[in-house]
Amino acid sequence: MFSNTAMQKRLQKELMQFQQEPPKGMTIDTESVSNTLTTWIVHIEGAEGSLYHGEKFQLQFRFSNRYPFDSPEVMFVGSEIPVHPHIYSNGHICLSILTDDWSPALSVQSVCLSILSMLSSCTEKKHPPDNSFYVRTCNKSPKKTKWWYHDDSV
Amino acid sequence: MAENPDNPIDEEIERSTGMTRDEAILAQQDRIQKEVEDTNPLVSERLPLVVLKEEYQADPVYSKKIEDMYASFPYIRKTRGDGNCFFRAFGFAYMEKLLTDKAELHRFKETIEKSKDTLIALGFPSFTLMDFYDTFMEVVNQIEEKPSLSELLATFCDQGMSDYLVVYLRLLTSAELQKEADFYQNFFEGNRTVKEFCSQEVEPMYKESDHIHIIALTSSLGVGVRVVYLDRGENQRANHHDFPEGMPPQIVLLYRPGHYDILYGE
Repeated sequence: MFSNTAMQKRLQKELMQFQQEPPKGMTIDTESVSNTLTTWIVHIEGAEGSLYHGEKFQLQFRFSNRYPFDSPEVMFVGSEIPVHPHIYSNGHICLSILTDDWSPALSVQSVCLSILSMLSSCTEKKHPPDNSFYVRTCNKSPKKTKWWYHDDSV
Repeated sequence: MAENPDNPIDEEIERSTGMTRDEAILAQQDRIQKEVEDTNPLVSERLPLVVLKEEYQADPVYSKKIEDMYASFPYIRKTRGDGNCFFRAFGFAYMEKLLTDKAELHRFKETIEKSKDTLIALGFPSFTLMDFYDTFMEVVNQIEEKPSLSELLATFCDQGMSDYLVVYLRLLTSAELQKEADFYQNFFEGNRTVKEFCSQEVEPMYKESDHIHIIALTSSLGVGVRVVYLDRGENQRANHHDFPEGMPPQIVLLYRPGHYDILYGE
């Protein structure tokens, strides 16, 4: 029981904080937030001066009742998926803080900022090299993939 | 990218389990973890050390070394092997000490109160940090108001509470490493920075602790810990090492490769 209510208390706090001081270019789709707070959609805009300037994307967050000890499941959804070397065309994102390097001290906001920064530092829009194989064979949830983080420079 | 997609045994795995390779691996890890959870509490009762020998019946090297420990350490308290065992063992053993040591409790409380500002100054996001700090302080206050061993054990066995305590100890460890980065940088080979090490090996849950974690946490809190090593080494008896170097130990932990438990003298 503890973990369940603790999870909701924590998400409630994160939701308020995000709505009061949303990071630049990001808004929470309040209608998407379920009663139990377990699913959120965040609208995110490509930053000025980056290859994605003017593009709009949707990030979906899903939380288990072990949040914040377990990482949220995060992926791009909707019709626009950024073309990026670490983002698969089905919306799955290869980013270490979403699995191996997740820490309970991180938050929805810090994840959004990391993803935006990943977009901003991109120098060439292209799909990951194994995109077509991965998209064909992976599970629906990116958390079911064993990611191999090979390159932090992009 | 997704790991090694062209492995030829993938099809075999899929045929026999009905799952893709990654799913099958994760499902197996989940099963093992579930089994560990079902058979081991996060922190056990205090048990006679003979329970440890029973795990190594067919192993003369370990059996002999364990027998030699009976006189100095007749009791053990086991922790669950979930990658957080050092932090949980340290946290429990030390807080158990605090139940009967008012002066040390007072000192510890002041140290923790100050730690919050250090963490914020280092750039930890205050609004997630405060959750962990508040819960940690709640437990410290509970020890002050009602020093009960059974309640402390219940707190450490409650997954939610227990993990909150582990997170704060991990953050304290990370803060110490970052604060003294010039010193700790010497421990790393290659070009890994202290900051990277903290976000990959210290702050995430379930990541195992090495000497560097122990040195940082014990230095940061000013709490001496003796670690007794039980391994397959040549020496007849189990070695020990004190952290931080030169500080008299307040608690004793047992290290077996990959795992920490708590030891008790008389």
